[in-house]
Amino acid sequence: MTAITSFISQTMVYATVYTLTSLGIIIGGRTGIFNVSAEGILLASASGGFLTAYLTGSWLVGFIAGALIGMAFGFILAFVHETFKVNQFILGIILVIFGSGLSDLLYKIIVGVRLSAPQAPHVPAVTIPFLSKIPIISGILNQDVIIYFMYFAVIISYWFYYKTKVGLETRAIGENPKAADVVGVNVKRRRYLATIIGSALIGVAGAYLPIAITGTYSPDISAGRGFMAIGIAIFASWKPQRAILGGFLFAGIEVIAFQLKLISANIPYQFFLMLPFISVLIIMMIFKKQIEFPASVGKPYSRE
Amino acid sequence: MKKKNIIQNGLLTKLLRSLSLYGLALLIAFGLISVIIALLGFSVPDALKTLITTSFKSAFGFQETIKKTIPLIFTTYAFTIPFMIKFFNIGAWGQMLFGGTAVAAVGLLIGNFGLPSFIMIPLLVVVGILAGALWGWFAGFLKAKYDINPIISTIMLNFVAVLFVNFIATSPTFKDPLEGHPITRPLPSSAILGFFHKIPYSIIFAILAIIFVYILLKKTKLGYEITSVGYNLHAAQTYGINFQRTIMLTFLLGGALAGLGGALEVMNIHGKLIEGFAKTSGAQYGVFGILTSLVVAGSPTGVPVAAFFMAVLLVGADALQRTMQIPVEMVFLSQALIVLLIVIIRKKFEPNGGK
Repeated sequence: MTAITSFISQTMVYATVYTLTSLGIIIGGRTGIFNVSAEGILLASASGGFLTAYLTGSWLVGFIAGALIGMAFGFILAFVHETFKVNQFILGIILVIFGSGLSDLLYKIIVGVRLSAPQAPHVPAVTIPFLSKIPIISGILNQDVIIYFMYFAVIISYWFYYKTKVGLETRAIGENPKAADVVGVNVKRRRYLATIIGSALIGVAGAYLPIAITGTYSPDISAGRGFMAIGIAIFASWKPQRAILGGFLFAGIEVIAFQLKLISANIPYQFFLMLPFISVLIIMMIFKKQIEFPASVGKPYSRE
Repeated sequence: MKKKNIIQNGLLTKLLRSLSLYGLALLIAFGLISVIIALLGFSVPDALKTLITTSFKSAFGFQETIKKTIPLIFTTYAFTIPFMIKFFNIGAWGQMLFGGTAVAAVGLLIGNFGLPSFIMIPLLVVVGILAGALWGWFAGFLKAKYDINPIISTIMLNFVAVLFVNFIATSPTFKDPLEGHPITRPLPSSAILGFFHKIPYSIIFAILAIIFVYILLKKTKLGYEITSVGYNLHAAQTYGINFQRTIMLTFLLGGALAGLGGALEVMNIHGKLIEGFAKTSGAQYGVFGILTSLVVAGSPTGVPVAAFFMAVLLVGADALQRTMQIPVEMVFLSQALIVLLIVIIRKKFEPNGGK
């Protein structure tokens, strides 16, 4: 029973990272900005968010710092792309490199080398009286605040894109920026907003890694999840409600791979650890036909 | 009059213009770097001097620069060739690791047969090339047949390759029992390339690769196909160029070159497989290859020069960490900054140059 409960709660923890990150990518993509830099944002906000939480002693300030770092990256991405029409993929990759350098640099400058790693303040869990006592259900409900924030973000973005006029307009930008422009939508401003908000969510996911999961920062802490989240966004056809599915799917695979690694003696454990990466490719191969893209994603838009 | 014409229309203008663009980008970038160094409380003139002159002050500095230039040339080509048809090979790192690992595994397995150097070395070089080519081709195949964005597939393959290195370097068959870190036993001496005045012989392969890429792109039908697909995909398809095949071939070629780079690191620099061998100055060669390629806007002819320039900065970065305790990531960040500025400036002043 405890094994199942721990599997569920571990999966949910990683699903939060995957879902928030891919949701951030989706929000940018819906206006045509393909945010390839997610991995860089995760790393930079993991480092910056952790250091802030550690120095201030407040998990909340840590997450806010993570979100702000994400917003800064989002702003750079939107600004350089919109102003100079630099290819989004080139820009994204440079930002990934930038983020991975920045994360280690910040940590080295502020913490340096220590024998015992500094620990982040604890993130409070949401406990629901009575229900939190039942074994498996407690694994689902007894979770930290950020997991509930993730559910909230998914629901809000679903509601925004499918139930509001502004959301419909925003989706139209992703499909056909020119048409949206003609009917009076400010394409440029929406693109800025979407990229910055999306990147803030990725920043929260980045801060979540050290503050809530590992308790401390270590180099390359995101371990490619920023890129797997791109895979999830594509697999989800850029729909928030499917991103959470993808998030749980990949988190489940990751946790299972890790459990198998511990149990199996015959097969070298490295092959289990390869599973998440290989499954990204296999899942994308299987769902090739179902995948839809917003037509303008990745393309620059200018008025003339 | 005649002179004016040459200046206006000739090669000279183009050269002067791109030189001034690079000059501008470098000026802004070094200005920003100086500000950051000053903010961190280090001496700016000392830091800049160390960063730029370390490679040329001593024989050791120069040898180190060449040692870093060689793998950089290979990973830069690995990014550049698929980039010519506007695809991103982020997987040079994985292709390099896979090539190097295959060489180490095969080299150790056949090490006891007592094969002479003139068989062993070409054989292992071919193994490295093939392993890298396979790893690269797979990403191309996933794009051509399943429309999977190579940015994702090559990164996933990188992680698989990292774990594969760990698997080989820790497996009882290959691991050096005396080492705590995942490192294999040394390769037999017949598989090792030597040094000439501390310059690795792998430089010969790097020069051959430069010639190979030049001939391939300028003189062969495949090179013509790659160039025309990159220039105008629609027209190229109308003239019967098989786009799917071109994708797979560019990734195969890129992977082959990265794999060769990995093989040479194992056979020449380390003499065995060490986990993390494809890294330098705080990051892996694949990433530096991307930055290097973007410095010259993915132009294959500029690669060797750009690789040398980046290697100078990397050697300077190591020296900064040694002598002034400035973290290597500082220079790594600066390189990303330089590249970002070059990309922006080129986009602004050369409408067709930024891709």
